[in-house]
Amino acid sequence: MFMSFDKIESIGEEQRGLSLKGKDMETRFQVFAELCEKLEATSKRLVMVDLTADFLNQLDADEVEPTVSMMLGRAFPKWDQRVLEISWATLSDVIKSLTNVKWTRFREAFAKTGDIGAATKILFESSKMRKQATLFEKPLTILEVRRALEAIAEISGYGSRERKERLLETLFSQASALEVKFLVKIVIGEMRTGFYEGLMELAVSKAFNIPLDVVQTAAMLSGDVVEVAKMAKLHGKDGVLKLKLQVFRPFRPMMAQSSESVEEVLGEHGRETAFEYKLDGARIQIHKYDEEVRIFSRRLTDVTQSLPEIVELTKTRVQARQAVLEGEVVAVGEDRSPMLFQHLMRRFRRVHKIEEMQRRIPIELYLFDIIYLDEKSLIALPYVERRKKLSEVCGDIPLTEQLITRSPKEAKRFLEEAIEAGHEGLMAKKLDSAYTPGIRGKRWFKIKKTLEPLDLVIVGAEWGYGRRHSWLSNYYLAARDAETGIFLVVGKTFKGLTDREFIQMTKRLKALTIKKQPHGVTVAPKVVVEVVYNEIQKSPKYECEMALRFARIKRIREDKSPEEADTIQRVREIYERQYGKKARY
Amino acid sequence: MFKLRIADAKLLRDMITVISTLVDEATFNINPEGIKLRAMDPSRVAMIDFSWPKTIFDEYLCDAPMKMCINVSEMLKLLRRAAKEESVELALDEKTARLTIAIKGRYDRTFNMPTLEATEEEVPTPKVTFNVRAKTTTHGLHQAIEDVQLVSDHVRVEIDNEKMTLRATGDLMGAIVELKKGSETLLELEAKESSKATFSLSYLSDIIKNASATSDIATLEFSTDMPIKIDFQQPKEGKLTFYLAPRIEVE
Repeated sequence: MFMSFDKIESIGEEQRGLSLKGKDMETRFQVFAELCEKLEATSKRLVMVDLTADFLNQLDADEVEPTVSMMLGRAFPKWDQRVLEISWATLSDVIKSLTNVKWTRFREAFAKTGDIGAATKILFESSKMRKQATLFEKPLTILEVRRALEAIAEISGYGSRERKERLLETLFSQASALEVKFLVKIVIGEMRTGFYEGLMELAVSKAFNIPLDVVQTAAMLSGDVVEVAKMAKLHGKDGVLKLKLQVFRPFRPMMAQSSESVEEVLGEHGRETAFEYKLDGARIQIHKYDEEVRIFSRRLTDVTQSLPEIVELTKTRVQARQAVLEGEVVAVGEDRSPMLFQHLMRRFRRVHKIEEMQRRIPIELYLFDIIYLDEKSLIALPYVERRKKLSEVCGDIPLTEQLITRSPKEAKRFLEEAIEAGHEGLMAKKLDSAYTPGIRGKRWFKIKKTLEPLDLVIVGAEWGYGRRHSWLSNYYLAARDAETGIFLVVGKTFKGLTDREFIQMTKRLKALTIKKQPHGVTVAPKVVVEVVYNEIQKSPKYECEMALRFARIKRIREDKSPEEADTIQRVREIYERQYGKKARY
Repeated sequence: MFKLRIADAKLLRDMITVISTLVDEATFNINPEGIKLRAMDPSRVAMIDFSWPKTIFDEYLCDAPMKMCINVSEMLKLLRRAAKEESVELALDEKTARLTIAIKGRYDRTFNMPTLEATEEEVPTPKVTFNVRAKTTTHGLHQAIEDVQLVSDHVRVEIDNEKMTLRATGDLMGAIVELKKGSETLLELEAKESSKATFSLSYLSDIIKNASATSDIATLEFSTDMPIKIDFQQPKEGKLTFYLAPRIEVE
């Protein structure tokens, strides 16, 4: 029940553009909650799409965006930088304060439902509530909920937790038990109705009678189906077709299919194609408008704050007023060789101690595409022309290494070089291909050269050089012979561990030492590590006559004993399979 | 044009502090007679109604009615720089839409800050009738609230012909504060019928704490499970009134 003391007659004039309905005609949040409840109850995708399409149809234009956002578990559209920042502590305090029950009751309800929203609903239904009234009554509508969420997001600074609590408490006080269930889910950011973006695209297509591919393309360009839904409601298909790439609105990046061989790629691309190094870094979109720069990750989160060097680089080097560029940031070691991806990811989403991270994890940027330049979208341009434009505006920012060729031999050599330089492999881009956001097709291929990882045992180690001179950092990796039980060395690596792991590993191996060697130690086979590599080669170097190429440790398998490690028979099997595959081409 | 000077900066700082308990951005109505503000907190649970006539200021100049919206927490940061017995001058540059804040005393400094787009929203007065009325010292009221705040986040206020009682029940502890008629704290008491209502201390304590810096006497009015109106007596013709909606038990 909702309590208040006065009906509000008019709180100023709302400026609402095209909406003809009055304020009191706003769609109730209760109806929204009922729809979500129905979606949750069914697993039939077509039913979900139909229900949603009907619902979208009945909404006012200004209700479409908040509804679509909230149905996907977002308080605001994806490109919107506002966040609620409500902690679980705040949320649970509000639920406690309103329901006035012992928290064990919540735990019971949660154990029963497995869902925080559903558990809150049970508490709301079964307890004597103590609700916060308001001075003026306003029914809880979809737009009212959005306004409340906006007010929460605006709060910052001193005392913000308490003020957020007040707002949330009042919002929940105005809601029915069913409404609260979904308000909680929106606050947490997870609807768990089984209704995801793909279905929303279907629903938008159905509701506004616009072909699905038009909806999908527009969603990819604008980065969010929400924008498409809004446009579809306001201007129909023509409006949706007008949705374009915009600076500062991240779009879904074009993707590549995997391929195993350069021959296949050359065939698919009509004999000639452009190969580029595939860097082991993080793909980013850089949006520039005059002096402002924003950077988005491939999942479209804003990572501008974490990458101040890239912002600076873009501002000072890029020769364009407006540009949307794509590139790869790579973390580099002291010798400028690429570092592991996981180190790089530590720089992302980081807001604190950025300067320290800048020192500890230096990064480099390599550009590979341009999608927008001075008011013009370049997505329809052929790849080679985009690349040419890119080289004209990029200043001295390096582009990814590129080779345009018809020769499988040259391509293979190029691939070897890429791997040799510590990269993942190659990209192959069809010369005349347009940029298709969000689509994984054959216009772009990726050729990686890692085989399935092996769990191997460390049987020996050597001291490192330079900075690593006091660490046992170069490891002999062995597989067990299932027939004899003997561990046979199949490779050697000094890659993959963090400094801290090297220090710990050194201690462990010292304790396991059986015999000291001129440059290191032989150790008891105890430590198991997961190893990735690019190839298994024939080699006279080791007893088993095979050797892993470009091996690096992916992680330490504390959970595995040496007996559970992979066998030499397994290694041979992979070797032969790989050989077999190669022979076919 | 709009310009004013106040000899004691503390007076202005305290009032801006009071306003900041409910809103971040405040739209002031400024006219040749003085300054007014009516605003509701974003959740519409509490409302402030404030006015100061020009006579409160040492100098006051306004030639035509206008609205001025400012970010009060930002303004507060600047006003906190003023020490005891320093004066402050406000002047609005209508061309640039910036407000200058000059603090003068031990040394002179002039700040300027942007004004924001004023809201056109008019906040109506809640139509409520009151069955009880109590006049207290703000100091005593503040103390009573501090007491009950130790045990809970909300308080039940009860008034009959004899006394005003504040009750709080927390998870572990409880508190009862009694203010008797004719006591040092409770100056006047009127009750058409005994009334009680529960209020969130998150609002009530901030309001009372901040407002007591600007006023010595407070008048409380409410009815059972209805909003409370608290009026903090101001010098001259000034007015500072709060409305706060109660918390209500619902089956």
